[in-house]
Amino acid sequence: MNGVKEGRWKSTLTFYRPVIRAQDQALTSELRRDFLGLSMHDQPNKYYFIIRAQRLVIEADLSIQTIMEKLQSYKMRVALNFEGIQYRLGDFLLRVGKVAPINSESLRGIVLEVEYLPISSLEKGRQIMAEFLEIWQEAVSKRSLPGHFKHTEPNFAEYGLSDHYSSQHTAVQYAIVMAQLIASAQLRS
Amino acid sequence: MHLGLRRLGSTPLTLKSFLTYGIFLQHVEALEILLQGLCGVQRERLRTHELCLKSAPNLGAVASEVRLLCDLEQTEPTWTVRHVGGAMRGAGAEQISVLVRTMVESKVSKNVLRLFYALGYKLDHELLRVGFAFHFQRGAQITVTVSSVNKMLKLHSTDEAVPVTPGIQLVEVTAPASPENYTEVVAAVSSFCEYLAPLLHLSKPGISTRVVPTAAAATASLMLDGGGTTL
Repeated sequence: MNGVKEGRWKSTLTFYRPVIRAQDQALTSELRRDFLGLSMHDQPNKYYFIIRAQRLVIEADLSIQTIMEKLQSYKMRVALNFEGIQYRLGDFLLRVGKVAPINSESLRGIVLEVEYLPISSLEKGRQIMAEFLEIWQEAVSKRSLPGHFKHTEPNFAEYGLSDHYSSQHTAVQYAIVMAQLIASAQLRS
Repeated sequence: MHLGLRRLGSTPLTLKSFLTYGIFLQHVEALEILLQGLCGVQRERLRTHELCLKSAPNLGAVASEVRLLCDLEQTEPTWTVRHVGGAMRGAGAEQISVLVRTMVESKVSKNVLRLFYALGYKLDHELLRVGFAFHFQRGAQITVTVSSVNKMLKLHSTDEAVPVTPGIQLVEVTAPASPENYTEVVAAVSSFCEYLAPLLHLSKPGISTRVVPTAAAATASLMLDGGGTTL
């Protein structure tokens, strides 16, 4: 597709679990939900929290991780790296990468992040993004690669996010992608 | 009034002073004139909604507390999460005239209260601080805040807040520091606080302080002079 290689990228997604004292079953049930933390390649000074069940996304400074450590109420359960190479195709930025647990080469999936640079409006950019993905799917299908790319657009409004695209939108998408990877893995097994 | 030192994150310490009983309201304007003269900077208005959250029973290795601060002075309110750690203890801590505590802050987006509720935290109490602050450099980056502490009669109702101690305001002096430089910061803050002595007296938390006998005279002098008097 004549993309220009621009360098490497990496984001890290962390699953947190609550620390429950005294075998409190009621509290364990109440807090049984995915609580995710995310550091993103293009926001080195920010950290994001996502709770999909509550349609909640938070943007914070990196120091929020230190605060969470000091509170000792949640611990890291597992962390996964999303990393690979970034390409430029005209007005599009493509980041292709593998998903694997940190300190492991065990591949959990492949992720493709597509960014259309000229437009920040979700509504206005929808058609051109759809057209690009169509071209991409066609190009990929010709290579007979195993698996397929799946795209699900979240209902950003449920997360309180506007039509103007932001890093918080990206954080929500990472959470959705993670849920899809888990669902796919469960189906395969 | 007392002195406290806080450790910010893993490196800097914040020096913090608290007024144990508060400065009387009639002396606040004089204090502002004095601070204006000493700091050489414009004061900033302060209106902060502070929510103190505590972990649910059995959540966490230990019970924990976190504060959410909403700056209501901004056009669009901004939120900060603050964690204050335990006080430094030992012979070294007792030698200095300040209380050393770790403090970590993070700017955060506006739905942070929903986040902590979802994580199992409960609202313990909330306050509204209204007043002013001076930020300046004088041997250390010092911040002096003078504020009334108000409680809300209805949940989150910042428009219906009443003073916790009517007629008395809280004065705090803080400065960031690190393990390597906190003695210099302590000296800088202590030195600065000496200039406030005609109106205020600082002491460590837990050590009772006293009404400054010169407060009324100093106030009268400052009000008459508009800050030109050397105390």
